[in-house]
Amino acid sequence: MTRLTAILRKDLLDLRLNPWVILPAAIGGTIALVLPLVIAVIVPQVSGESLSESGELEMAVDIMRAQAGGAALDPETAIQAWVFQQFLMFLILIPVLGATSMAAHSVVGEKQARTLEPLLATPITTFELLAGKALAALLPALALTAIYFSIDLVLVAIFARPGVLGALLGPRSLILVFVIGPLAALAALQVAICVSSRVEDDRTAQGIGSFVALPVAMVFVAPLVGLQSVTHLILGGLVAALVIANVLLMRLSIAVFDRESILTRWK
Amino acid sequence: MIAVSRLRRTFGDRVAVDDVSFELVPGEVFGLLGPNGGGKTTTLRMVAGLIRPSSGEVRIDGVPVTSETSARLRARIGFLTEAPGLWDQFSVRQTLLVYARLHGLDAPERAVDASLELFGLGDRAAEHTVKLSKGLKQRVALARALLHNPSVLLLDEPTAGLDPESARGVRDLILRLRHDRRAVVVSTHNLDEVDRIADRVAVIKSRLLALDTPAALRRRLFGQRLRIVLAEPAEPVLAKLLAVTNANGALTAAERVLVADLARLPMSVPDLVRRLVEAGAAIEAIVPEDRPLEDAYLELVGVRPGSDGGQTGVRPRREA
Repeated sequence: MTRLTAILRKDLLDLRLNPWVILPAAIGGTIALVLPLVIAVIVPQVSGESLSESGELEMAVDIMRAQAGGAALDPETAIQAWVFQQFLMFLILIPVLGATSMAAHSVVGEKQARTLEPLLATPITTFELLAGKALAALLPALALTAIYFSIDLVLVAIFARPGVLGALLGPRSLILVFVIGPLAALAALQVAICVSSRVEDDRTAQGIGSFVALPVAMVFVAPLVGLQSVTHLILGGLVAALVIANVLLMRLSIAVFDRESILTRWK
Repeated sequence: MIAVSRLRRTFGDRVAVDDVSFELVPGEVFGLLGPNGGGKTTTLRMVAGLIRPSSGEVRIDGVPVTSETSARLRARIGFLTEAPGLWDQFSVRQTLLVYARLHGLDAPERAVDASLELFGLGDRAAEHTVKLSKGLKQRVALARALLHNPSVLLLDEPTAGLDPESARGVRDLILRLRHDRRAVVVSTHNLDEVDRIADRVAVIKSRLLALDTPAALRRRLFGQRLRIVLAEPAEPVLAKLLAVTNANGALTAAERVLVADLARLPMSVPDLVRRLVEAGAAIEAIVPEDRPLEDAYLELVGVRPGSDGGQTGVRPRREA
């Protein structure tokens, strides 16, 4: 555990010394914060046409009313709440994307800087090394998500219709942000670390890592946002699937992290 | 302390290390010599448990290095890798602190302070490693390798690229480690360095070509020789001497120097000196001929001095 936290602290220090790494995620997150505000609040106010008038978003009203505590929402409030809830997915995924870049760099970056062999010469185990690196990528992503979620709630409280905030603080959103999101993020980051362990240059790691990791996260997050009716069974199933996926991915990461080929074949 | 037994490692069809065995005791400095690609780094990595041997065994303090024991045994080993491998943006202190924590030291901050002091890095503690000179980077890497007070030190090219002053500092440190009863393996191309600090040397070119003390290696390859410096040309003196003795083949002459191969000399050294004086030779000095270890090394790896250092087709001499 001490060695795992040593790697975690080391990679977090690395991030503190190179904060620009999370800049793209920060920019993307900001856009994901502003966009629903524009769509659900500013455009209707400027155009003078409410969201519920067109009738095209009746499905959204049904989805929100089906959620716990949402039965009493009026159509305009329900649609606003639905728009904000849809963008929650991006608030979760965009920080993950930033963290994926860190994770993809984690092993191949050490190898290219020739800093991996001294690390491997310590008593650290492969699990400790990879888990430390995964957590070092995950925690900033979670912190970013928590910050964006808090700002989102403040913006909703100030600008959205009364009742939207309550709907956003429903179990579906909270589970999405605090359970499904982190577990999906961890799965995505582990995929990125697997890729980082197998490729031989940083650009390939970043490219493949992002390409593979983001869909992995979306597979788990998207259904929760999109499904009209989410039962306890679906939620439990998703969480269980994510836990199992993470355990399997950690085993896979350890299996593909071949110290010998990393030390002897990479030049 | 370290026992390496019949170590072999292949990468595909290529045999990197083949049938290498040696042992080290505490307080011994062991030089590992060999050409590039000769298997020195692979041997060190196998000793450190970083890569597995294809066959053979390494034992540290009697415990075999296996995938189950290697992490635990690495706590007893300090490994200086060929490249310093420092994180550019980290300060010297931050770098050492990471390793102190990785080794699970009880008081990492204190251990780092002591290490900075020991290696004279105190005033550089806050500097980013990227800004350090090559010599200082190597010093930080050495401090890192010794941070957890290991009993076994594996040093891969510890003075490569260092200026003479820094190299001397590293050599002094290795001698201190010997004094502290650590077992030190030094892989290097610097033959003069090994000659000065190593108690024994192994010459590896995939296989173990020789293993002995530097002096014994020289003796075995070139015999014990005396250089007799004369005041006049040596050829006529040699001719006179050979006329009255049967020392043909044991003596050679070049300019003002007679070289005597003691193994082939059919008389004692005082006898030889007396006969030289009788032959009218004016002797200025008699000194043991100390051929550089480099000559022994080149002889062993099959490269003739003065050649381009590549493959000459000369078969390497194998240890009996």
